[in-house]
Amino acid sequence: MRSLETDVVVIGGGATGAGVLRDASMRGLRTILVERVDLGQGTTGRFHGLLHSGGRYVISDPHSATECAQETDLLSRIAADAVEMTGGLFVTTPHDDPEYADTFVAGCHATGVPVEEIPVAQALREEPRLNRGISRAFRVNDGSVDAWRLIWGNVRSAEAYGGRALTYHWVTRVLRDGDRVSGVVCHDGISGEDVRIEAGFVINATGAWAGQIATMAGCHGVEVVPGRGIMIAMNHRLVGQVINRCDPPGDGDILVPVRTVCVIGTTDTRADSPDDLAIPRDEVQQMLDAGEVLVPGFRQARAVHAWAGARPLVRDSRVSESDTRHMSRGMSIMDHRERDGVSGLLTIAGGKATTYRLMAKNIVDAMCAQMGVDRPCRTADEPLAGSESGVGIAITDRLRDREADRLDDQIICECELMSRTMLTSLLRDRPSVAFDDIRRQLRLGMGPCQGGFCAYRTAGIAHDGEHGDIARANGLMRMFLTNRWIGLHSILFGDQVRQAALDDWIARGTLDVEHLPEADALPSRPAEVEA
Amino acid sequence: MTDAVVIGAGIAGLTAALRLARGGATVTLVSGGLGGLQLSQGSIDILGYAPGLVGRPLDAIDDLAERSPAHPYARLGSGRVASSVGWLADSLPGVFTGDPTHNMLLPTAVGVARPTALAPPSLATGDLRDGASIAVVGLRVLKDFHPGLVASNISRVTLPDGGSVDATSAWIDMEARPGEADTSPLNVARAMDDDAFRRRFGDALARAAGDAGIIGVPAVLGIRQPGVWEALCHQVGRPVFEIPTPPPGVPGMRINTTLTDAVRAAGVRLIMGGRVVDHGGTSSRRGGGATDAAGRNRRFPARAFVLAPGGFESGALHVDSRWNVTERALGLPVSGPPADQPIVQEDYRGDHPLFLSGLAVDDSMRVVRPGTDDPVYDNVHAAGGVIAGAVRWTEKSGEGIAIASAVAAADAILKELS
Repeated sequence: MRSLETDVVVIGGGATGAGVLRDASMRGLRTILVERVDLGQGTTGRFHGLLHSGGRYVISDPHSATECAQETDLLSRIAADAVEMTGGLFVTTPHDDPEYADTFVAGCHATGVPVEEIPVAQALREEPRLNRGISRAFRVNDGSVDAWRLIWGNVRSAEAYGGRALTYHWVTRVLRDGDRVSGVVCHDGISGEDVRIEAGFVINATGAWAGQIATMAGCHGVEVVPGRGIMIAMNHRLVGQVINRCDPPGDGDILVPVRTVCVIGTTDTRADSPDDLAIPRDEVQQMLDAGEVLVPGFRQARAVHAWAGARPLVRDSRVSESDTRHMSRGMSIMDHRERDGVSGLLTIAGGKATTYRLMAKNIVDAMCAQMGVDRPCRTADEPLAGSESGVGIAITDRLRDREADRLDDQIICECELMSRTMLTSLLRDRPSVAFDDIRRQLRLGMGPCQGGFCAYRTAGIAHDGEHGDIARANGLMRMFLTNRWIGLHSILFGDQVRQAALDDWIARGTLDVEHLPEADALPSRPAEVEA
Repeated sequence: MTDAVVIGAGIAGLTAALRLARGGATVTLVSGGLGGLQLSQGSIDILGYAPGLVGRPLDAIDDLAERSPAHPYARLGSGRVASSVGWLADSLPGVFTGDPTHNMLLPTAVGVARPTALAPPSLATGDLRDGASIAVVGLRVLKDFHPGLVASNISRVTLPDGGSVDATSAWIDMEARPGEADTSPLNVARAMDDDAFRRRFGDALARAAGDAGIIGVPAVLGIRQPGVWEALCHQVGRPVFEIPTPPPGVPGMRINTTLTDAVRAAGVRLIMGGRVVDHGGTSSRRGGGATDAAGRNRRFPARAFVLAPGGFESGALHVDSRWNVTERALGLPVSGPPADQPIVQEDYRGDHPLFLSGLAVDDSMRVVRPGTDDPVYDNVHAAGGVIAGAVRWTEKSGEGIAIASAVAAADAILKELS
């Protein structure tokens, strides 16, 4: 067993964990983040990509609304590389309560959420596909965020301050030294060995999985209920700005343009496990109907992918109300010293990606107070790695890049304009990546063909690389095709069926991947996890 | 009024048109696009897996017909498959080699030994034999062929007789078009049509292949010019074989050209770029079809119709957002998938009911109402991928079904016309 020693261990590689890693590292604490799979593979990578103006919460959760407005404004500057400030509209459709609009505007004024009513004709000029029956339209400061770029920006920033993120490190034990948590033991899924990390403090930022980690530390009764929501990506941007229904929050009330697609979301159903999230056919139909309300003809557009995410909804009867005094509603910090008599461990769950930085600040503040460290949060003061120029994402970025290198480089994924150099650079930096990890960082296979052409090319290039191992290349290619299908089978209709048939014809017909010699050597899971 | 209108320009539509025209009928072929041959691997599959590896496809068809009465081969039978494939191969002299009674095993671009029945000689030379020493050589400008992947995997293949092959891989650095780092199989094939380019390639190939006994290359050995493969084999002094790439597939394009030329020479009128937009006639007989070729609608009256537009991959079969499956050209009733179940399974590797759905036919390939033998129209026949009952790409049966159903449909029409 390998051994490491550090000040702080952060468990969980979502936006919150990455934010904590950066915050703690910037305060001079030696910090290591451990993530059981890849960064952004959990809830952060499974939402609709909305950077909230706050408008959605002005009535239901005014405190959150104010926080969202402030954080969105801040992130558009310090995390520019991960953000596209598309702008947003709240529109009153024929299905919405017309009374709500005035309540909404009053709420925006009360919470400091910038809002401006614009003429309906103006809204329809800006968004010609929008339902022509809308009666009012309000401009807000919505944006969209590439969640994986946000996470990696935080990690790269933290690395500059000595922080580290260990992916494919699955926590199998939380170490206790009497009443104090003293570190963790992880299973390294790539090397297959176990790693013991001694730490002065552990932060549990595992979201929907937080109850499992708390239990490992001997802190029982932390119940995190996964609230399952489904999202569907359409193959291009039917709208250029975020479109919100001007109505109390409900299912399918938002359409978000993110990178090359637009995403309709979402539903909210209690799930049994965050590791097993269904995409039921009736919810798909519900989302398509909701899309029709915003953009008539939505059902004739092409759905390319669907996914489900698990909102971490904390239920904890043993937490007194005073425990939430540091934080806003929606995010919840559990102090296990007060709650369970176990020091050196804090749990954070809830909240939303838009306010990830604030959540990280709050929990690192709480941790510093317990550690007796007096160093202020500086995460708002400097840009994330990659965002130094302050220039945000534009949908044309890659077109410009490929126009510049098209004679010297190959395009491996045509749908997302991913070049061979982008791929080989990532393979050099992270030789053990799975194709889905490449997807999260470079958008491999996220376009209309869903891996139909690029999976083969990527397998060939990965196998040619230094670490080429044929069993692994075969396994990775097959795993990628299998995983892409998880997001396809529930939304196969229209031209995406034609694509799926063509893809299948190539993969199973022409290449005959089904009969590849058996293959594996993929990341391993721990044999057992101690609770 | 022509005797027959054929809808679709893939291997099924072209075969039906050729058979009809050679049989003395006047034929118009209308097609919305180029046809599916360019998407294919460029060989004639009859039956490759059922579900285990098939060595003798005709025998396996008879077993399959007994087990799966809804399979198109249950209607066609091995006898008609053998004679139809044989007739097409004889009609295109020099294009195919092989024998419908035996499958060969040709390496794919990932290095799987893939069963197929007949193939152009340039592909068939790759039929895997015990003890072969193979060099697989790619071009760096071509991202759709990775020789390392092919060589590593075929070295691990155990042949049905227990044998194995030994394979190495190498790259050649040669631009197909000056200054271009990223090219397609078709661009390389066009470059190979030029003698000087082919000779430079041959020199590089002989060096790259070392002392291997046989050399595998991506299927890019010429597109218009005949004899490129033969000249290359002669130049390097060893057998060279082609391995199909993902689309655009050059071997399929070559077959498409040859077959289309034969169809044209047989007197068929070809209308490309015309999607069927309407159809007329009485309740029991279609009177004509209309297409929107060249931006205007035209009517094509005929005595009989062969519908050969392909399956889901061409868009001929369509699924709407509520998972209703329809046939788009003539609005014919579709067999399956069951209404109360998901159209596909959650597991990618599953058998997806959607891809088994299509048109039901009788023994003469006349379209019937699903579950009955009642023709929808007396004069509408189907051929190829639009017919229900087979996942052609999984079992490797696409061309066999297409050719046999096209010939059966054409023969039934010829009989009625006489």
